[in-house]
Amino acid sequence: MIDAKNISKTFFSHSTEVKALVNVTARIDPGEVVVVLGPSGSGKSTFIRCLNYLNVADEGSIIIDGIDILDPKTDINKVRAEVGMVFQSFNLFPHKTVLENVTLAPIVVRKKPKDEAIKKGMALLDKVGIQEKANVYPDQLSGGQQQRVAIARALAMEPKVMLFDEPTSALDPEMVGEVLDVMKNLAREGMTMVVVSHEMGFAREVADRVIFMDEGAIVEVGTPEHFFINPTHERTKLFLSQIL
Amino acid sequence: MGSPIALKRLKQGNHYYFWVGVFFFIVIGVVLSLYFSARQLDYTWRWYRIPQYFVYQEQVEIRSEIDGEVESISKKGKEVVIRVKGTEGTESYAAPASALGFEEGDTIYYGDVLATYKKWRVGILMEGLWLTLKVSIIAIVFGILIGLFTGLARISSNPALKWSAITYIEMIRGSPLLVQIFIWYFVLGTLFNNILANHGIGQIPPLWFGVAALAGFTGAYVAEMVRAGIQSIHRGQTEAARSLGMTYVKSMRYVILPQALRRILPPLAGQFISLIKDSSLLGIIAIRELTKATREIVTTSLQPFELWFVCALLYLVLTFSLSMLLQYLERRQLAV
Repeated sequence: MIDAKNISKTFFSHSTEVKALVNVTARIDPGEVVVVLGPSGSGKSTFIRCLNYLNVADEGSIIIDGIDILDPKTDINKVRAEVGMVFQSFNLFPHKTVLENVTLAPIVVRKKPKDEAIKKGMALLDKVGIQEKANVYPDQLSGGQQQRVAIARALAMEPKVMLFDEPTSALDPEMVGEVLDVMKNLAREGMTMVVVSHEMGFAREVADRVIFMDEGAIVEVGTPEHFFINPTHERTKLFLSQIL
Repeated sequence: MGSPIALKRLKQGNHYYFWVGVFFFIVIGVVLSLYFSARQLDYTWRWYRIPQYFVYQEQVEIRSEIDGEVESISKKGKEVVIRVKGTEGTESYAAPASALGFEEGDTIYYGDVLATYKKWRVGILMEGLWLTLKVSIIAIVFGILIGLFTGLARISSNPALKWSAITYIEMIRGSPLLVQIFIWYFVLGTLFNNILANHGIGQIPPLWFGVAALAGFTGAYVAEMVRAGIQSIHRGQTEAARSLGMTYVKSMRYVILPQALRRILPPLAGQFISLIKDSSLLGIIAIRELTKATREIVTTSLQPFELWFVCALLYLVLTFSLSMLLQYLERRQLAV
């Protein structure tokens, strides 16, 4: 589904350069849930943002569903339509109602008839447990509710992959659970997911594989059992000892 | 009642009404002092002469163009048709029924008044007001379009677009509007009309050079507002829109611009109010808008005091209506 090979990314700010990604290679198979862990500044977010071209990798190749997204001839909008993204800060459209947030892209990108998009949108809002808020504006929702709407908005495009960039980091602790529940259900339905997160419980329970990154590179890849119980690398052990 | 808070409020209330009183005292004082100084000058206020510059009744006379006699007077709705039969043929004239001066069979000579009636006409101030309104509305519409496009070009990464936008904005903002109007009319206007004349096409009237100057001037300021508005929208909005597969144009149209325009509505209102007031400069290129119309009446009627007050009041009516309209739009958008 996703095949990233040797991708590197360097940011330049003023006269200093920051190597955000160094030779990162990762493969995500259809139906797989991969959780990317690592300390802050390790390049997790840059990695996931490179996967739908919000950041452009300097080197390497990224193939999504058979399409090379770094090829200049690729229509990136078509690829993005197949790749859902959920952001840390939700990024709902504040001038549109919850339902309009969910139906906008299907209508203007997929050219779906409006009534069909609304039907599908209501079904998705029901799925994330927030149907009764369909006609309110995002600023009237709690953080957890907003993030669930954001998930429904991404799902409305019927994506083949879902990318989650720290979906619970901006939430009050009591709202983390409701968002994780939605993501767990999604994983159970067989959605391919790449999740950047600090939620160890979620990684342990849901992930098929865990990728551990540090300083822009992948340190260790493995099943949750391997990763949490029996990690190989010193860096991983240190990280786990710090957070657990 | 009787609680400390209520007492305090009452006290504040007394102060409040005192200062309200002071305000009205100042307003009335200014008006009165103006009135009495005008009396010192021996100025006679003739407010009753002002309404005729808005609408007036014109005396219309219908005269016969031939010798002959009234052949028939036939009713046709509210009008009557008078047929005059002469030696060389028959002529017919239409007039309101009440205005008749002849009966059937009467002899008519060339130039006789067949009927007289009064007709309402629009006065010169009204025409000026209408022209000001027309120029302003057209310039605002074009100003928005130019501003929107230039604002987008200003934040583009394409150097041709970006630098053109910057050059245009800086040139417009760095020179007086009056000079720009002269350039549009005397330089560009002459060039355009010369080219058109060489190709045998009709001339562009000065009105359109005035509109172009105002629209171009406003567009530069609107562009900067549009740019600021777009840049004030969090980057996450664009990212969210683009991650859903929207193109740059679609994300602008459905996500960024609606939010940006809502934010820049108050400064836009101020800019458009300026535009209405700046349209008073167009008088210098022979566009008879409100200010020029007033100046013309002043020179003939010698009633400068009343007329300039009326002129200012009319501008106030225009700008105040516009600001009310935009406030309404703002409230409606905030309510959603």
